[in-house]
Amino acid sequence: MLQAIIGGLTLGSVYALIALGFNLTYTTTRTLNFAQGDFVSVGAFVGLGTVGVLTAALGADAVGYVWLYALAAVAAALVMGVLGLPLYLAAIRPFAGKPGMSWVVSTIGFGIVLQSAALSVWGLGARMLPAPFGDEVFRIGEAGFRSQELVVLVLAVAILGAFDVAMRRTAIGRCMRAVALNRDAAALMGIDVPRVMAMAFLASSALAGLSGVLVAPILSASLFMGVIIALKGFSAAIIGGLTNPRGCMAGGLLIGLVESLTALWSAQWREIMVFLLVILVLAMAPNGLFGRKLVEKV
Amino acid sequence: MTKTKTASTNTAPARPRLTALLGAAAAVLMTASVQAQAADPIKIAYNGDISGSPSAESGQIGVLGIGAAVEDINKRGGVLGRPLEFLVRDDLGQPPKAIQNMTDLIDREKVSVVFGPTNSGNALAWKHIANQKRMPVLVSSASSTAITEGPSSGNYLFRVSMVDREQAAALLAYVKKNPEAKAVGFFVETTGYGQAGLKDLEQIAALHGMKPVSIEKFDARDTDMTSQLSKAKAAGADTLVVWAQAAPLGHLVRSMEKLDYFPKVFTTWAASFSGFPEVAGPKLMEWPVFLTTSSERKSAEADSLFARIGPKLANPSMFWAASQAYDTVLLWAAAAEQAGDTKGEAVRAALESLNKPVAGMVKTYDKPFSATQHEGLTAADYHWSRWKDGKVVDFNDPVLAGLQPADFKK
Repeated sequence: MLQAIIGGLTLGSVYALIALGFNLTYTTTRTLNFAQGDFVSVGAFVGLGTVGVLTAALGADAVGYVWLYALAAVAAALVMGVLGLPLYLAAIRPFAGKPGMSWVVSTIGFGIVLQSAALSVWGLGARMLPAPFGDEVFRIGEAGFRSQELVVLVLAVAILGAFDVAMRRTAIGRCMRAVALNRDAAALMGIDVPRVMAMAFLASSALAGLSGVLVAPILSASLFMGVIIALKGFSAAIIGGLTNPRGCMAGGLLIGLVESLTALWSAQWREIMVFLLVILVLAMAPNGLFGRKLVEKV
Repeated sequence: MTKTKTASTNTAPARPRLTALLGAAAAVLMTASVQAQAADPIKIAYNGDISGSPSAESGQIGVLGIGAAVEDINKRGGVLGRPLEFLVRDDLGQPPKAIQNMTDLIDREKVSVVFGPTNSGNALAWKHIANQKRMPVLVSSASSTAITEGPSSGNYLFRVSMVDREQAAALLAYVKKNPEAKAVGFFVETTGYGQAGLKDLEQIAALHGMKPVSIEKFDARDTDMTSQLSKAKAAGADTLVVWAQAAPLGHLVRSMEKLDYFPKVFTTWAASFSGFPEVAGPKLMEWPVFLTTSSERKSAEADSLFARIGPKLANPSMFWAASQAYDTVLLWAAAAEQAGDTKGEAVRAALESLNKPVAGMVKTYDKPFSATQHEGLTAADYHWSRWKDGKVVDFNDPVLAGLQPADFKK
């Protein structure tokens, strides 16, 4: 049971990071990045590539692997964050704020381009990114954990907390909240709305890239791994409420726990239970557990 | 008169000259035709996945093996005096693309034989086309049992590769014979591959009178199988037979480590694919015992082939994929030479009654096929293997040494 809870919270915290990314773009632009899964997968490979390049350049023992891994995580967040800008410019900006759902196809298309390009560089196979604190199993009673599960859990919660504070205390955070609340009023107050929207995509994509590096030592990196993580992240955002960042975080942890605890009974029922939960929540609270209704003027 | 005479005189010697000229022209034409035919290559093709799915790795290596065989055959004069021209078609792991490739190769390219595919689902999608169009196919990789099942009057599919049913027969023969295996569990993927494997395992276990204490399933994308393993542990399973692709198999042994539960693990050739050692890591990858068609190289020919293509292999332990693909070309070439023809019917008949042994990389094939038997390799030919120090090596133990042909129930 303890094993299932830790495992569930670990993956749940990653779903929460992805859900937060969906929240950022939805509240500022009323659009979602359906290529988020590809940003997770490619982010993991950018991390792997960074470790490879640094090891080749500096030598295997030049600095501790923990530092290499940390640099890889930063590189993945930066590269994927910067890639979020062309995504915004090419696939979102022409359609944001306009009626229609063209951005759904354009973001999916951007994801396919990204994945295909990555496939030509890294190929199809699964790769294991070594964990920064080793791959040994720690035991508490009969349950066993790997260090990376705790690293992911702690880092993800820290990042979620930092975002929560940043959104309330920093200028850019306040700008984002202002744009989310009322785009026109924010513009009238002198906020550069397109810049804030671009920042939202940058942050959302960076979170996806970072998530990829965090889970790669647990799940093994493959260019197809992101799809299911992003789908669960999206479900988390729907359950928690797309408009509420704290709700998205709670939704992620809830989904992680539900699938992990269901597996104790029957692994094949995990997905069924997760999506039954999504349907149940939507039936009872259409805007998610902590969301509010957004009125869109057309 | 004179005219006539002249004409006659002129005509008489002209006839033999004309005949001689016509004869010479015909001879020139025939020589040109023979030369053209001699230069006219026989097209052969590979239709399989070399880029689209994780199995593409075996396709890429298979193509290298076929290419090497073509090179060797062309060096010794080709087949029936004609050189071989090798075409490669990537089916991307997608059945519709595989079908499109197949009809293109047969109808437009007019190939004489098709090798491949990589994925069983694709072979099952187009095998009716091969049978209808009488196109010999030598399967060099895909392992689903049903691929070589077909009408005895018109089955054109032959195989030199693993067969799922044969793998299940071999694995369960060992488990049944092993006195330490008191309680066996079956662990399978929820994919078509895993489900077909479970069906074979259950049917063969019934033939042995064995009843698994635990049957657990997992998604091919799963990375944590601790819940399924906990159940097998609680059921007392001391031996697991696993039917899964390389990456989930790696996650299964990682999950075993988390529970500190290490039952004996027997599995298919999937363990030799790169994804397994990559995910499992250097220590855990040595735990399972699995089957391959060739583990360690034991002949000078195999060493020579490895020297040529080994440097191109990202995972040299998958050299078996090149070896068996190489052998498919040798077998087809032997059949075409025996038939004196490359037409489908003639080659099929010759394959079913090869009158000379063919020395291949995996083994020497002595009458490998018949009208009812289209498998070039069976359970008794498989190599028992395991990973050791980063290489696939032979696995040997007294139980294996004691296995008799009658133990391979199927």
